[in-house]
Amino acid sequence: MYKNKKNGFLGIIITIAILVLIVIFSNKESNTSFFENIANKLVMPIQNGLTYVKNKLSGNSTFFSDINNLKIENKELQDKNSQLEQSLRELENIKTENETLKEYLGLTEKYGEYKTIPGYVINKDISNYSKMIVINVGKDDGVEENMTVIADEGLVGHVVSVTKNTAKVMTIIDTSSSISCLMSTNKDSIVCKGTLGNNSELKAIYIPTDADLIQGDSVDTSGLGGIYPKGIHVGNIKKIVSTKNITDRYAVIDTAVDFNKINTVLVIKNK
Amino acid sequence: MKKTLINVVLTITVFILYFLQVNFFSWFTIAGIKPNLFVIFILFIGLFGNRSMGIIYGAVCGLMLDLIIEQKVGINMIGLALIGMISIIFDKNFSKDSRMTIMLMVLSTTIIFEVVSYIINYMLYSINIEIFKFIEILIVEVMYNVIITIIIYPVIQRCGYYIENEYKGNRILTQYF
Repeated sequence: MYKNKKNGFLGIIITIAILVLIVIFSNKESNTSFFENIANKLVMPIQNGLTYVKNKLSGNSTFFSDINNLKIENKELQDKNSQLEQSLRELENIKTENETLKEYLGLTEKYGEYKTIPGYVINKDISNYSKMIVINVGKDDGVEENMTVIADEGLVGHVVSVTKNTAKVMTIIDTSSSISCLMSTNKDSIVCKGTLGNNSELKAIYIPTDADLIQGDSVDTSGLGGIYPKGIHVGNIKKIVSTKNITDRYAVIDTAVDFNKINTVLVIKNK
Repeated sequence: MKKTLINVVLTITVFILYFLQVNFFSWFTIAGIKPNLFVIFILFIGLFGNRSMGIIYGAVCGLMLDLIIEQKVGINMIGLALIGMISIIFDKNFSKDSRMTIMLMVLSTTIIFEVVSYIINYMLYSINIEIFKFIEILIVEVMYNVIITIIIYPVIQRCGYYIENEYKGNRILTQYF
């Protein structure tokens, strides 16, 4: 065990601190505001204190006489504040509920031609290498295997297995997923596969040699393959990567759905 | 009685680890990459428990994970049961008193688990092999697991020797003489 308990404890604290710093820095897009915050937090309390003393010294004579009044006023304000906080909480609850209902309504209107079942994402994959999600609707709600799952922005994936109350969905960004797609401008067919690295990118392969790829072009499902219906938006062409052999060229597709923030989905009942 | 209590606590730990992995560590990531707490847990059981414990817990945990989240049953089950087996070999050949040895064990078992999972995934779903991206993710994941091991090492040691005393008797030093 530890020969020197103090050193061991210190080591653990340092390791935790390093881990927290690594996590913060590796996930933060802009680190400047982070440093600004730290600097502010270090300096501002002292600065506030100094300003307070400076104001007092510069002749605020009513300071001591006002204390009693301030105490009463403070009590009243605290009561008022707690009342307001309570109503704010109630309003926030209503707002969230309203947003969810609106989202459902928007989704249903957008994909009105399909019969759909709304659901929530309740679980995400624990592994770094596969990207399955679990939703809170299952057999009891009419969900079956191979049904298509969509979100407001576009295609999410398809159901691979169902229990009574839940369904596992293989997302289109999973490495074992392939979708047959059409590029909207020239109607050429491509196959979009999930990649390991990125949660918002697909790799489009098997691009016809005579096809003209346009950056920013919309990519939709082609309806081939028997799982996904035709015409569901998948994403847009982000980058075209040319290789020596034209048959090997591929394109990077930016998915329409943000899989890091996905919460509500719709399962399409009829194909 | 004590053995039953140990098993109850370990089972509860499995669920705690699952919820930690799903909720906390899907947010507390290093560049979007999560650690694998189950590899550390099964290694720990394999090292300090009796011969079959690591394999049984590995298989059961893996089965649970496969049932909850994976497409097909088997990948996690085989991978974690394998970790249980490897930990028995580690237990026979290496000292558990050194933090460095435990760290190296976590490092190697994480690599083995992820490589085996990736190969099985490739065979089942014929995924595209993205070797560089895989290595990149693996390095971060291994690093993360090692950091977690450094942090929880005192807990591993204390609980581990308690379990070992119950299951194997007090033969911590006798195996070296």
